[in-house]
Amino acid sequence: MPFPILTTLIALPVAGALALLALKDDHEHESAIRNVALAISLVVFVVTALLWAQFDSTSADFQFVERHAWIPAFGITYAIGVDGISLLLIVLTGFLTPIALLCSWESVHKKTRAFCMTVLLLEAAMIGVFVSLDLFLFYVFWDAMLIPMYFLIGIWGYDRRIYAAIKFLLYTMAGSVLMLLAILGLATLHAQATGNYSFDLLALYDLTIPSHLQYWYFLAFALAFAIKVPLFPFHTWLPDAHVEAPTAGSVILAGVLLKMGTYGLIRFAFPLFPEAAVAFAPYLGFLAVVGIIYGALVAMVQPDMKKLVAYSSVSHLGFVVLGLAAMNTYGVQGAVYQMLNHGISTGGLFLIVGMLSDRRHTRLISEYGGLKHVTPRLVAAFLIITLASIGLPGLNGFVGEFLILLGAFAWEPKFAVFAATGVILSATYMLWMFQRVNYGPITEKNKALPDLQPREWVLLVPVIALSIVMGVFPNLFLKPMAPSIERLLGQMRQSTAVQAQQPAPGGQSPSAGGN
Amino acid sequence: MFNSLSAIVPMACVTAAAIAAMTAEAFRAPRERMPIGPLGIVGLIGAAISTFLLWNRNATSFDMVVADNFGLFVTWILILVGILSIAFSSPVVEREGLPLGEYYALMLFATAGMILMAMASDLLLIFLALEVLSLAVYVLTGIRRDSAVATEAAMKYFLLGAFASAFFLYGIAFTWGVTGSTNLTKIGAAIAAQSMAPSPMLLFAMGMLFVGFAFKVSAVPFHMWTPDAYEGAPPPVTGFMSTGVKAAAFAAFTRVFLAAFEPLRGEWADVVWAVAAATMIVGTVVGVSQSSIKRMLAYSSIAHGGYLLVALLAGNDLGKGAILFYLATYAITNLGAFGLIGLIESRERANDQISDYAGLWQQHPWLAALMAMFLLSLGGFPPFGGFIAKYYVFIAAVQAGYTWLAIIGVLTSVVSVFFYLRVIVMMYMTPASATPIRVPSIPAIAAAALVVTAVIVLYLGVLPAQVMDWAAASIGTIF
Repeated sequence: MPFPILTTLIALPVAGALALLALKDDHEHESAIRNVALAISLVVFVVTALLWAQFDSTSADFQFVERHAWIPAFGITYAIGVDGISLLLIVLTGFLTPIALLCSWESVHKKTRAFCMTVLLLEAAMIGVFVSLDLFLFYVFWDAMLIPMYFLIGIWGYDRRIYAAIKFLLYTMAGSVLMLLAILGLATLHAQATGNYSFDLLALYDLTIPSHLQYWYFLAFALAFAIKVPLFPFHTWLPDAHVEAPTAGSVILAGVLLKMGTYGLIRFAFPLFPEAAVAFAPYLGFLAVVGIIYGALVAMVQPDMKKLVAYSSVSHLGFVVLGLAAMNTYGVQGAVYQMLNHGISTGGLFLIVGMLSDRRHTRLISEYGGLKHVTPRLVAAFLIITLASIGLPGLNGFVGEFLILLGAFAWEPKFAVFAATGVILSATYMLWMFQRVNYGPITEKNKALPDLQPREWVLLVPVIALSIVMGVFPNLFLKPMAPSIERLLGQMRQSTAVQAQQPAPGGQSPSAGGN
Repeated sequence: MFNSLSAIVPMACVTAAAIAAMTAEAFRAPRERMPIGPLGIVGLIGAAISTFLLWNRNATSFDMVVADNFGLFVTWILILVGILSIAFSSPVVEREGLPLGEYYALMLFATAGMILMAMASDLLLIFLALEVLSLAVYVLTGIRRDSAVATEAAMKYFLLGAFASAFFLYGIAFTWGVTGSTNLTKIGAAIAAQSMAPSPMLLFAMGMLFVGFAFKVSAVPFHMWTPDAYEGAPPPVTGFMSTGVKAAAFAAFTRVFLAAFEPLRGEWADVVWAVAAATMIVGTVVGVSQSSIKRMLAYSSIAHGGYLLVALLAGNDLGKGAILFYLATYAITNLGAFGLIGLIESRERANDQISDYAGLWQQHPWLAALMAMFLLSLGGFPPFGGFIAKYYVFIAAVQAGYTWLAIIGVLTSVVSVFFYLRVIVMMYMTPASATPIRVPSIPAIAAAALVVTAVIVLYLGVLPAQVMDWAAASIGTIF
């Protein structure tokens, strides 16, 4: 039996969190707790990197697959594996978790042990979501992930943290319970077709689902994922959650959690219900475009930096959904690429905002000004990440947005045209914020701000390096995902083609019954 | 000859322990401490062993008590409920100065009644068992004689309960009038013979029986007594009756409706549908506005009764297994929650408002963590047992075509999460009040019970396959 690397990835953070219980949660052990937690998360990151190194990027299939019976009565299995789409998201999770732990070094002093445990448990659940090949298992991780995030916002957040935490949890849950019913419906359908229950994704891909059920199931799945993304108009939980979450929470939320929505669309909703996906794609595309423009316009008028970045996420994730809805190679590749980009650049922006608010204890843009004079290095990092987020060529954001627009244009030029204005708008609000914070006369309160600390260098350098690498060598990242995306698109084309040929018998049966 | 008695051994063990407890009480000097609780646990363990030996035997006694696997599975749940309740009771009994012998004897008699109810295959015997357990529980509810709230609760519970018992008895009488028997198998046969055109009398009888059961499982609109009774009783008693009574009543409910009255499914299905929907909705919606944690959990247990009704209605192979699995999970989780509430109460302060839990995490991280775990399990979060149990019910409902009921179920469970979260918000995210809760010291037996419940809740959530198989297999024996 090969080494169960994926199970290791899930089990390691959990084991680490439990190991932290051995350390006493008091002031003396604080740094020991932090170091152990950071070490564990770094080990996890190394394992994700090893995973990438061993990944066969010419293959479209799921790799490192592990299967064990879990609840045999319902055909529920512990089935996990990665393909090109999930691989990099797992690496991203592994990359961002140590950053999240490290960025709260100075800002979290309350219940440090519990904080570190929460972050590690959250990491395990997030990796679980990305590797699940069994719908039930996926749902378990999907739901389990809510609890640590809820605690993270609710305990270590800012003033309105309780409201934001409950809103986050109830919104996400309300969307996902209907998905649970759709999952159960799928398993029942499988039982009717073959005689036994199965939640195995690959088995369900092959299931022929009647059109009317496809529409309902697709809606249930799409609602769950649209709330998570968040797609306009389901986005209202996001600004609250982002603003009230501690920096670590914001980084993980923006970097990984939002990706689960788009990942769910491409992994589950589209391929399971291809006919419905094709039918609903224009609506998704429309909402995505509205979200791109709306998010950008609302971001422009935010006085609070964190809120601005939060709305910019709505806008950026709109691009991802647009690329997915285009359902062609460029669009989907761009979308997956943009998922990674957004994780890195928005994660970076939240880090910067966190550093500023650690220094000044405010996130209001109007409180800052002229930082260039006192903290030139921080401003330089801020600039690179801002430009990456805008999509300047040579940095990561450009590649993703370009591919998405290409894909969208091939599919529906109107959407591409409107979406392109989002690119311009994002330049407007980001640069305007950057200008107000960093240029202009220096105010009294900002005069004594320290520049980057060594710890902050360690946080920002990998993020910036990765933005540049992803901007200059996109093929490094596009190559492993390409075969899987092609297989997925081919699979969808095939099943919609099959169903397009089949309406005759489906349409005839009622009339045959009438005769 | 003794073979014919084997089916009643489990309840005989419990009854013997109860009688021993009563006798011991008679010889107890006023302030003397006697290990009556442990005595009860010994009796229950005896019952557990005999239940284990009876497994797969299908023993019958007097043609009225059947120890089939279904009854035995419920018996196991009840024995566990009894043992854990006794374990959680010890600090409360001590603190409140409750009469040791009476308290434990009543609890054991109630357990014996519950076990009898789970195994009875005759309507009259079901009634008898129902009365045995109800009378004991009425008294337990009001056992804090100096408390006005407790006395009021017991009185209310008793009056309404007596009323419901009368309904039930009427139902039995009419059923006998129509079918000529009180034996469930014979009733089933008689009903099957005339299921095409059931007489109005039969429908009336069925309705009466339904009301009786609905009262005992506190289904809406027969739930009015629940919040008061749950609030007035000492917490371990509340835990005991919110799980044991419900489990026993659902066992009999299942036997009567899914076996004897199964041919009339067309007549009762719609009613159960409506009652299940109303129970889930009222339980959760009213639960949202409660400020007392006991009342909140009372409404939560009403809502859980609704999910159980969905499983009962789904009534297919999955649904029947789902009832048992859900009962087991719900019983353990709820017991844990009420056990913890019992530990947190103190003589000076009731500590039963949700706001009393502010900052509990700071003072008692382990208690807070366990409470959070029980509440999240009740709310249906993985990786806890409550999630799997709810999922089991919903897949049964979807498979049986009750999609709308499943939709109501999942949506109400989202609403219910809101009030479970309120407690968690208090414990973890609100600073402690000026006089935070201080739990003096937790007796070893109660701590052990907490650990056991927590382990079972996790076990049922992570590795549910084995218990699911048992549940499915045991329900297969009666239908």
